[in-house]
Amino acid sequence: MEMDRPDGRSPNQLRPLACSRSVLHRAHGSATWAQGETKVLAAVYGPKAGTKKNENPEKASIEIIWKPNTGHIGQADREHEMILKKTFESICIRTIYPNTTTSIVVQVVHDDGALLPCAINAACAALVDAGIPLRHLAVAICCSVTDNNCIILDPSKQEEEKAKAFAYLVFPNTTVSVVPEKSLQAGSDPMAHGIITSVTHGAMSVDDYLHCLERGRATTQRLSEFLRKNMEPKSTREASKAG
Amino acid sequence: MREIQLQLSQTQKVRLQKALEHLESLSSKVNSDASVTIADSIPVNHEDGVLKGHGTADLEGEVVATLCGVVERVNKLVYVRTLRSRYKPEVGDIVIGRVIEVAQKRWRLDINYSQNAYLMLSAMNMPDGVQRRRTALDELNMRCIFEEADVICAEVRGFQQDGLHLQARSQKYGKLSTGQLITVTPYLVKRQKQHFHHLEQYGIDLIIGCNGFIWVGEHVEVRDDMVEDQVSQSDPQVLIPNKNSVSLEEQEKNYTALETRKHICRAANAVRVLSTLGFIITLEIIKGVIDLSLSMNLDIHDMLGSEFCVLVAEKEAERRSSNKKKR
Repeated sequence: MEMDRPDGRSPNQLRPLACSRSVLHRAHGSATWAQGETKVLAAVYGPKAGTKKNENPEKASIEIIWKPNTGHIGQADREHEMILKKTFESICIRTIYPNTTTSIVVQVVHDDGALLPCAINAACAALVDAGIPLRHLAVAICCSVTDNNCIILDPSKQEEEKAKAFAYLVFPNTTVSVVPEKSLQAGSDPMAHGIITSVTHGAMSVDDYLHCLERGRATTQRLSEFLRKNMEPKSTREASKAG
Repeated sequence: MREIQLQLSQTQKVRLQKALEHLESLSSKVNSDASVTIADSIPVNHEDGVLKGHGTADLEGEVVATLCGVVERVNKLVYVRTLRSRYKPEVGDIVIGRVIEVAQKRWRLDINYSQNAYLMLSAMNMPDGVQRRRTALDELNMRCIFEEADVICAEVRGFQQDGLHLQARSQKYGKLSTGQLITVTPYLVKRQKQHFHHLEQYGIDLIIGCNGFIWVGEHVEVRDDMVEDQVSQSDPQVLIPNKNSVSLEEQEKNYTALETRKHICRAANAVRVLSTLGFIITLEIIKGVIDLSLSMNLDIHDMLGSEFCVLVAEKEAERRSSNKKKR
């Protein structure tokens, strides 16, 4: 079904992505992530010694601080903090630094739809920048179901408000082997990789949800490529400069 | 670790770009196959018993990277080295730290690591040089030796149960005064044989700490402990210098000459320029930058300008290409 999106995108088209790392000097790792107009800045501090009282000291604990762009911290922000915490607890290898706390501070710069996926991507890039070992990268996408049962990816704020339901999905990134022949196999079986987080708002049918999952997973390939390209050139250039 | 914000004009940008590209082409070819992102599997010959080092994990028999970086292999060890990693202390590293707290029988220092390091009272030489048990009086007088916000040079002793411990059992370690402390990113300092340098022609001391803290200061003669014992007859137990009333004569004695101060500032600016450009900090390169600035008769604050930075980059490119031709 043809869908007329206000900004003229096709249903599967993402907004232009922009990512920059090491933006903050004092943080151990930092990154900004922009999808269209939505922009989020994430900073990682850690690992720092000690855990909070009700945390398991045998594992590293992750602390998220969500800062909205306007207003006081409210319930919605606490919910975002909890979602991010659970997501990153499953990505980070928590047994490496026991009895430490890694803080991730997420600052919303501008909210124009798909805020939580943008924040997850930014925080993941910041964790990589800080050099914290991760099991895989988290690639987050937002799918929304419109009134005429059409599934569109990466909605803007307008589209999100008009949508019947939307889902934030977080997948692990697709792996590419360093040996080129193996990478051809990696893309063939995307379903095997699993899903990290799924947050849904509104009511949608089971079929719609499964469609969203498929579409979302298909786009993780594109997002993973973008992430990979973003992480590589800087590293080789720095290595040669330092001599 | 704030870098100098360089306002480069168009020509300067072009020159800097050219110099950096030249450096890249000169460097030993960084194998692009070796750079790896998270969750990439690392090609490993499974017949050899391979040891999985830092930054790797075992996933169904595949060795998978957990960090973004470059794969390094040493005999049977495979590990991933990040390029912008934080400081990782090793036993015997020379580090420079700042005291943040005076606790019971120890000082807590900040050394740019994820934990704070401890310097035990017993891991330090007493100011009078006598080797004896530390009494309760010594504990009360700890503040006379080091206070909060003092800059200390020490050596990493190891990881104990409660954290990272340092020791300062030699005259070359201890409190640093009369100078500047510069912070750079830790990966710009590689471990070398000598970290204490004395630049005779300028009369300054240069200590390159492995944690990215670099000290440039007035030269201090390393006194021999034995000689000190005979000279000082004062009661070794009580050491309470009255800081408030430093007499005029003492102040005059401690006065640093203007020339030395200028040299200290020049060296410090040289380190800042190198850290902005991202070059590894060694004695030779710092000397080269200082000589370059002196030969151009550059004012000290002009060293932080964009023109000088571009010149340093070009000169480094020349130096490395001439080194390569010599080989």
